Formats: sequence, structure tokens, C-alpha cells
Amino acid sequence: MGITVDAAYKSLNKFNEVLCGDKVEFLQTDESNLMILADGMGSGVKANILATMTSKILGTMFLNGATLEECVETIVETLPVCQVRQVAYSTFSILQVFNSGEAYLVEFDNPSCIFIRDGSLVPIPQNTRIIRDKTINEYRFRVKKGDALILLSDGTIHAGVGQLLNFGWLWEDVASYAVKQYRLTISAIRLASALTTACDELYQYRPGDDTTVAVMRIIDRKPVHLMTGPPKSKRDDVSMVSEFLSGDDTTKRIVCGGTSANIVSREIGKKLSVSLHYYDPDIPPIATLDGVELVTEGVLTLNRVLKLLKQFVKNQSVTEEYFKELDKPNGGSLVAKMLIEDCTELNLYVGMAINSAYQNPGLPFDLGIRQNLVDQLKHAVEEMGKKVTITYY
Amino acid sequence: MRVTICIGSACHLKGSREVVAQLQSMVKERHLEEQVDLNGSFCSGNCVSGVCVTVDGQLYSLKPEDTREFFDREIIGRL
Repeated sequence: MGITVDAAYKSLNKFNEVLCGDKVEFLQTDESNLMILADGMGSGVKANILATMTSKILGTMFLNGATLEECVETIVETLPVCQVRQVAYSTFSILQVFNSGEAYLVEFDNPSCIFIRDGSLVPIPQNTRIIRDKTINEYRFRVKKGDALILLSDGTIHAGVGQLLNFGWLWEDVASYAVKQYRLTISAIRLASALTTACDELYQYRPGDDTTVAVMRIIDRKPVHLMTGPPKSKRDDVSMVSEFLSGDDTTKRIVCGGTSANIVSREIGKKLSVSLHYYDPDIPPIATLDGVELVTEGVLTLNRVLKLLKQFVKNQSVTEEYFKELDKPNGGSLVAKMLIEDCTELNLYVGMAINSAYQNPGLPFDLGIRQNLVDQLKHAVEEMGKKVTITYY
Repeated sequence: MRVTICIGSACHLKGSREVVAQLQSMVKERHLEEQVDLNGSFCSGNCVSGVCVTVDGQLYSLKPEDTREFFDREIIGRL
């Protein structure tokens, strides 16, 4: 069984802090996906360093086949010791989901993982062992399509403590809210965002602690093929289009570029119809073409897509407003939304032809930057934990 | 009559949105919706000059400020 995941997280910084003391890492190997959440002691810079080191050490060692004992030992030996408290400390949760469907959860001092299957909670059994004085819980299980696994930092269950809620937002209540939101949301990011938004409200928008929710949803593979730019040599039109159109029924296809869209239309013998409806004055209208999910103009649209993806990766800016922007019907939002919420792997088909008309210094925007945009796009999508390949023509 | 306006990258930057908006309102003003079919197109291959507009297959290059004159001459003039 081929398992794929949609993973995303959302953090709130403790009120008045610039840096977050929680850190989430997404890693991929050929046979598994790894999500790590570390919560460093304290807040601000110190916590950020502790959490970053912990998540990086765990990720690097784990992926290279180190045992849990070795990982924990390394963390204990390397973390800088806090001068105030005389300890080096960061909690962590590790979730590894193999393509075979096997899963491995390791938890140390974080609130327990919320495991949702078929719309109900699945309890995580206690199976602890002690490594270097640390009590660590381990759970090996199998996932199936539709499952959601949610890692939390303790900022979530402390939300509203002493203010709106006497004892904070109890784990049970967080979990039942998560189950409710699980039914209402499709993607990992919307679920993570719904939970942190609720925390933020309970904190009355002044979080008393760094608060992080990291979500992994087990989903079907969702490959996206994106073609942009005409090939350097016209002879490659046929091969570029046929590779772009390869894949199966699960593959979604996007063309970003007017000339590219004309080429695809010609090669597949289907009519391209271009709308004249401007949903956004800065982004040219989209077009429709049978067999392709989404057809947009090229460089201006990609520039907008990139802006949205960068904001997404930066995390702090993923707010209600952000989702409103993402849900707009202009070409840029449509492409960004598909890459964020409806894509597990991205294959880019990039044409290298240079349009001499774009070398016109009279134009208010440098249109000759497709290459650069594609590179940045690749990095942004990789940062979301998705696999990206590029084929140049 | 089929009028096609290029909304590709270069034409967009040269003001195709403005041309589209003007043509749409002029067509409406004169109640010509039945006779004049406004369409979009991607790159017509003549990115060097102004906004590419095609009237029944004939290619024109337009600046937004010339839209009124173009409409009177090439569209009204041909009806």
C-alpha cells in the first residue's frame, strides 16, 4: 500500500516574542515521512535554540538509522545548559509514517498525540521506557487513509489558563475540538490553523506560551504536473507536452504561460478558451482547456504564487486573512492553493526559450525571470515537505 | 464579429486590462453584445508592440488610449 501524507503546522509565538520556542521539522526518506515537534524550555532565543537543536539532531540521526537511545543521548550531551535552571531541556514528539503504512510515534513530555480515525479518537497506549532518566513513550501502529495525527506543544493545553479557563484547555477538550475540525477541514494546514486560532482566542490574542500544532493527514497520493514556458527548440514541443500529460487519473495538471498553453492546446487538439474576467487587476485572467485542471498566464501569475508560498512557509503570516486570499479565484491564488492543499509531489516542466519581446526595458516588470521564479518555487514547495522534480526543455 | 484581445504577460503589462474594460463598456453602451463577440487569448506572437487585438483574424496593435478611436474605426466601421 502506498501511503502519502499531507503535513503542515502552525505556531503562535508567546506574546511579545519575536522567535518561537517550538520547532517543527518535516523530513522525507524514500520510504517514510517524518514529523518532529520540539518545545524548548523557556521562551524566545534560548527556547528557540534548544528546540531547533533538538529537532535537527533527532531528524538527522533518525534518518541515518540511529537508535532512539543514541538520539536521546546525543541531545542530553549537546544541548546547552540553561544558566538560570541549570538544566538542558526540550520536549519532543517524533512521528514517522512509512509508505508501507507502518507508523512509529515517540513522545517525551509533550501533550499526547491526538490520533483521529473514522471521525473518532484513538487512544495512544502507554508503553514507556526510561532512557537517560527520561521517560519516553513509544507506540508502533498502522495508519490507514483518512487518519489524522496531531502533535501539540503544551502551549495548546495551557491556553486560557487562569484567565478564561481555570485549568487551561484540557487535552480532552482540545481533542474533541480537533475531531470536530477534522470533519470540517480538508487539508493539514487548515486543521492546524483551526486549532491554533482557537488557542489564540482562549489566550485573548496574547499567548502565554509558544503554541504549536503539527498535523499529518494520511491521504492518497496527489501528484501535480506544472508546465511553464515554451521549450528552447520547437522540436521539443511534442516531447514536453507528452511528458507533461503523463501520469494517471490522480494527476492534476497546471499550465502557467500563454505560449505554453497555446502549445498544449495545439498538441492535444483541444480549444483553449481564455476568459476576460479580471478577479485581480494585477493578474491576467485564467483560461480553460480540456484535460488540464488549470491554465494561467505565466510570469506575473507565478510571481504571485511564489509570494503566497513564501508567506505560507514563513508560517507566522498564515492567518484567516491568508486563507481568504488563498480562496480567491484569481490565477495566482488558484495555483498556490493547489500546490499547498492538493499536492503531495510536484513535477515541473520548464521551457527555456527566451522571448525577445521580454527583453524590453520599457516594460514595468522583468518578464525574463521565469528561471529564477521556478528555482524559488522549487525551494518553497520543498520546504513544505513535498518532493519536487524539474525537467528542462 | 469576433474580437480577440491578448491578455498574455507582455500585453497585460502594456495595458490589456484597460483595453478589455474599455471595449466591454463601449460594446455595452451601444448595445452591440449580439454583434460583437469579445474574447481573450494568450500570446498572439506579436509581443513587441502594443496590446494585440484581432478583429476577424486581422491583427492590430493597440495602446489603451487609442481604444476609443480603434473601436469607432475598426469595429463600428465594419459593422
